[in-house]
Amino acid sequence: MEYFTTELLTLLFAALRSATPVLAVVLGEAMTQRSGVINLGVEGQMLLGAMTGFAVASVTGDPWLGVIAACCAGIALSMVHAILVLGCGANQIASGVAVLILGGGLSAYYGTPFVGDKIDALGNLNHTFVSDIPLLGEFLGPITPTVLITLLAIPAISIFLFRTRTGLRWRSTGESQDITRNLGHNPTYYQLAAIAFGGLMSGFAGAALAVDYTANWVEGMTAGRGLVAVGLVIVARWNPWYALPAALLFGASEALNLKLQSWGVDISPYLLATLPYMIPLSVLMLSYRGLRASGGGMPAGLRVVFQSAR
Amino acid sequence: MDIQLYNITKHFGDVTANDGVSLDVRAGEVVALLGENGAGKSTLMKMLFGLYPPDDGAILIDGRETTIESPQKAMSLGIGMVFQQFNLVPALSVLDNLLLAYPKPPFWTFRRLFHTSPRKAVLTYLHELAPGLAPDTLVRDLSVGQRQLLELVKVLNLDAKVLILDEPTSVLPPQEAERLWGLIRKLAEAGRSVVLITHKMQDVMACAHRVVVMRAGRMVQTLTHEQCTESSLVSLMMGDSNQRSAIEVTPREAFANRPPRISIRDLDARHGAQSVEDIRLDIAPGEILGVAGVSGNGQHLLADALVGLTPLARGEVIIDGRVLQSASRTPSTSDRVSYIPEQPAVNAVAADLSLTTNVALSHFRSLRFFPAWTPEEQLTRKIIQRYQVRPDNPALAAGQLSGGNLQKLVVGRELEGDKDLVVAAYPTMGLDAGAAHDIYQALFAKAQEGAAILWISEDLDDLMSYAHRIAVLQGGRVSGIFDPRECDRLDIGRAMTGEHRPASTQQPPEQKPADSHARAVS
Repeated sequence: MEYFTTELLTLLFAALRSATPVLAVVLGEAMTQRSGVINLGVEGQMLLGAMTGFAVASVTGDPWLGVIAACCAGIALSMVHAILVLGCGANQIASGVAVLILGGGLSAYYGTPFVGDKIDALGNLNHTFVSDIPLLGEFLGPITPTVLITLLAIPAISIFLFRTRTGLRWRSTGESQDITRNLGHNPTYYQLAAIAFGGLMSGFAGAALAVDYTANWVEGMTAGRGLVAVGLVIVARWNPWYALPAALLFGASEALNLKLQSWGVDISPYLLATLPYMIPLSVLMLSYRGLRASGGGMPAGLRVVFQSAR
Repeated sequence: MDIQLYNITKHFGDVTANDGVSLDVRAGEVVALLGENGAGKSTLMKMLFGLYPPDDGAILIDGRETTIESPQKAMSLGIGMVFQQFNLVPALSVLDNLLLAYPKPPFWTFRRLFHTSPRKAVLTYLHELAPGLAPDTLVRDLSVGQRQLLELVKVLNLDAKVLILDEPTSVLPPQEAERLWGLIRKLAEAGRSVVLITHKMQDVMACAHRVVVMRAGRMVQTLTHEQCTESSLVSLMMGDSNQRSAIEVTPREAFANRPPRISIRDLDARHGAQSVEDIRLDIAPGEILGVAGVSGNGQHLLADALVGLTPLARGEVIIDGRVLQSASRTPSTSDRVSYIPEQPAVNAVAADLSLTTNVALSHFRSLRFFPAWTPEEQLTRKIIQRYQVRPDNPALAAGQLSGGNLQKLVVGRELEGDKDLVVAAYPTMGLDAGAAHDIYQALFAKAQEGAAILWISEDLDDLMSYAHRIAVLQGGRVSGIFDPRECDRLDIGRAMTGEHRPASTQQPPEQKPADSHARAVS
């Protein structure tokens, strides 16, 4: 019994750790989409964030500086999307793909010298002030700071979005730019802020991956996590609270994949490695059936991007 | 607060929208601004609300000359306007919509972050005007009347002393219009002034203290409530020199004993969240069947299903004994069925193609492989001349014409040639009275030639003067079929809001003693 509990707890922590980068991207992208902009470039922003974070951590020796640099890199690349979409009126899908490829290319080019470097990763929270907190400390001890920050971002974002008037304007921008403009607010301002926030979260996700989770930089290391996150935003119904189970779905299937491989299951490891993508995809397809009827909380402004107006 | 508009003039290109109009509005007064579409009422009020600057003239507020350069300025002066198009976000709650429109305290106050205190402030008027409306209801679940009330609350929240309402009753069923009139009187008693832009006599008679009649950009006359009679207002609105010929409507007995030309049997159709169910209607040749209802109750879907743009889920449409559409077949369009969709300028023309091509596309099937363009161009010229489409060059791209002119072109195109069924959705919406009159004449002439007409409209007055029968759609079902000679507006209104029990059996058009078949425009 005790073995089972320990095993389950280990699996949960593993799931949480591998879900964290995806969770951060889902949160950021959900906020961007809430303002009526879709950003497919999050994958590229994540890669650039991971590379920048790793490089800064490697050069300075301070992983926290790496995290901050990663966030800045994410914002900087997301501004390319903002300029193309808000400034030039470019197609959001095309612009997002351009940013994705740009981020991949830039990170590969500038990241080459750092491949194989060793850095001081962000350790877990054991032996810090957190593990001294009575009761909670025992659970929070084994997790790392990026996990904690991402988890804390959930209530923070939902308070902002649902309880503040700025959040209200953010949502109304996503529902209808015209109405928001008629009410005397500038929708472009809120969309710009939303794209930047998405950039910050995806840069942070890159750092969580390179500086914390793997402590390593490899070209293309995000392996589609950013794009999966865009899909998981739909599963999460643009709601920060639902983002956690949606991201855990990815994290748990990745942990399961590793577990199955270590148990020596007689399935090709390449096939097993598709598990973290297959499971969220199936859930997305299943939940989409229910979503189509109700609209599922999709911001009405996104409809212009996804479907032709009737 | 007293407002004086003095000698206001406004041109849009070559068109003079307002020509030396003077108007004053005193506190506690309801002023009705009466005139037909295109008379310049809305333009005048939009200048007072700061949407465009006047070319000439002055606006005096409490005796002092004021420039109102933006709606924000107008609101800060205490002038609020409720537009025909609502500015509400359907996916947000009532409370959220009110908060969105409520000004934010400056950023250095911490209060700005948490909307607990404005929350109380924005709800005061809501509780007063609509005590039954829960603040956390989503706006998309509200009726049109409730949405309008919400718009009114938004304006009152900004502390408006002068309320401008643009055609507020045009979208309301009759009993909700009555409620609004009561509300307007109450607001006036509380010391606010209300300017009511309208083309409806009932609005004027019900609640205006003073009526200002406008025609073709000029102020014709100001009357107090006691001086008004409906007939005097009509002649002032239309102008004596401008008396139009009567619109001919087929007498009923002409088709009373004929078998129906169109039979709609147990029709169901769905598209997205919209649906129509259990539609059973017969239309005799020459009959004009009006379809009334609050917009969004399935009118669009019914029209699409009839003409073959949406597949049927159940049932069939029979035309002269042949099956036109049925649930088991792929929907198909026909050259003998014509369709004037809502907003024809958007839904019925290809903006980049020439007028000739747009006309030719409607009878696509009968075109040769290499179309002969000369007869098509002649046809287009004929339509342009008959309906006074401007500019009158058939080679122009459709996108270069205004919406009203495209609408006339589409109506002309669709009524050209022999038709069995004409489905017209809001064919005169947004047109000035002269153009609307021409369109009605052409549409009803088609009925005299033997076509069955299904005419969807929001204008109950027009429906009651010209339609032979009126079917009311409510929640996707026919909630009542009325004879306009035997029912009154409130019966139809109750059917529109669902207070009326659905008609279980449907009567074929009965024989009635003849009365005047030619009814004048009123």
